[in-house]
Amino acid sequence: MVAEVARLDLRARRTSLAGYTIGLALYALVIVALYPAFKNSTGLDKIVTESPAIAALFGISGSITSADGWTNANLYANFLPLIVLLLTIGYGAAAVAGEEEAGRLDVVVALPLSRHRILTEKAAAMILQTTIVCVATYVCMLAGRAFDLNLDPWYLAQTTIGVLLLAIGFGFVALAIGAIRGERGPALGITTALAAAAYLLSSLAPVVSWLNPWRVLSPFYWAIGNNQLTRGLGWDGALVLIGITAAAFAAAVVSFERHDLRG
Amino acid sequence: MEPVVEARGLTKRYGNVRGVENLDFTVAAGEIFGFLGPNGAGKSTTIRTMLDFQRPTDGTVRVLGLDSRFDSVEIHRRTGYVPGDLQLFPKLTGRDHLDAFARARGTVSSSATRLLVDRFHIELDRPVRDLSKGNRQKVGLLLAFMHEPELVILDEPTAGLDPIMQEQFQELLRETIASGRTVFLSSHSLDEVQRVATTVALIRDGRLVVVGTLANLQLRAPVRVSFRFTTPVDPAEFQRLPVVQSARADGTTLNLEVMGSVDAVVKHAARHEVLEIRARPADLEDLFLRYYDLESSGDASAPPIRPADGR
Repeated sequence: MVAEVARLDLRARRTSLAGYTIGLALYALVIVALYPAFKNSTGLDKIVTESPAIAALFGISGSITSADGWTNANLYANFLPLIVLLLTIGYGAAAVAGEEEAGRLDVVVALPLSRHRILTEKAAAMILQTTIVCVATYVCMLAGRAFDLNLDPWYLAQTTIGVLLLAIGFGFVALAIGAIRGERGPALGITTALAAAAYLLSSLAPVVSWLNPWRVLSPFYWAIGNNQLTRGLGWDGALVLIGITAAAFAAAVVSFERHDLRG
Repeated sequence: MEPVVEARGLTKRYGNVRGVENLDFTVAAGEIFGFLGPNGAGKSTTIRTMLDFQRPTDGTVRVLGLDSRFDSVEIHRRTGYVPGDLQLFPKLTGRDHLDAFARARGTVSSSATRLLVDRFHIELDRPVRDLSKGNRQKVGLLLAFMHEPELVILDEPTAGLDPIMQEQFQELLRETIASGRTVFLSSHSLDEVQRVATTVALIRDGRLVVVGTLANLQLRAPVRVSFRFTTPVDPAEFQRLPVVQSARADGTTLNLEVMGSVDAVVKHAARHEVLEIRARPADLEDLFLRYYDLESSGDASAPPIRPADGR
């Protein structure tokens, strides 16, 4: 009886997981391969310095043609978290609430497994899916060394872990909201809104002075909003992200334990 | 011997919405307990509470001597369950389901599984989304029976099964109790329950109306008999017969409710030219109506029944 619930969920998602992984990996390779063509483009940097607010909306600050600036502007500060959050929030909302709405949770809950165990397996399935996507992206970014995109592998790994924790934290929030009433819509909607607000807070904080002090409230700040590619995640960042993730998981366990499964 | 299922004051409300109210019943080992009621009566709510899918608002239910609330994992280990609206993983085949659920359970009888597959001609190698509802239902039966559980809980299990398979299924239930195991069968079909159940509980509007053996309950419901004659016949002729509860003419057709032997009715009808006879056993509604009539008239001649609290 090795994590059958997780295996069932993963089997059902094989195709979409392959899509996420290959898609992001290819995108990362394209970004990496384009770098030599842009790394000396001072015009590009000028756009950013002339309209910092627009750039901030895309999570861009500072030089865009440096190795870390290029990586942030094209992937780590926007596209990567967005896609990985789609995966985790989507799965988080589907894993309990979606399965319940589809009527499939009954046969699973009727197995001799505690609710706690079922939820833990689903959380593990989420972590595994996210890890596969993030590791594939990380490996492709490392390939940048062949294209003069010299990122510090250790800091890149830390930032990737930051994105992973960020996404799983929001995924667990979706899991928890979905397990309150077994409804997928609110789980998707509320969590997506929270993530969008947190993203805007972190990405606009550098250019909107009154927002700046509040950026510490955004998990994005702790994962990608503070030059992690050149400074690393930091113990404080790691602890904040792990804390959010653990709290969201605990909330999900409690709400699933208390939940009346609808017939 | 300890009851297999024992509900005491079991109540489930959803906010102000009724689920079930103050249910008391017991299911003895080796019974096929027919849990009979119209759709929405509270059958699934009761079952879902037994399996700890939902928590009682009040009261308790013990299954195999275990508390539904705190021993649900052990209850799940020793029971098999087919949900009322069975949904499986659409992309996976029957065999995928079988393997996964067997691994999750740990204890599965491969001989029992093989017998079931052969007997019901279960299609194991196609994704369940490509199966008809009946064939999916068979996969569900397999998942409920493969570990030879002490108690099988079936919520409207024959939906979608063709008549031959329904017979096979009823045979399976009889064999299940012959080996000392117990079946809790929820159904809205009186006919289905009549064929297999040893004890029947009637539930309506969330309340248990009566629990009794099938023989006792059946006697209480009239058979509907209708004759079509060549010319109109006066219902009063039939009304005089003691077994006739009611007689109503509709053109040349005469509709009767008969309680007991139809012999006198048939003999009387033979005095006229009969084109057609139809007889239909009591359905669930008749049974309920009849039961309420008896209850309100306090009919002492009614056969003895087990009171609804099962004691």
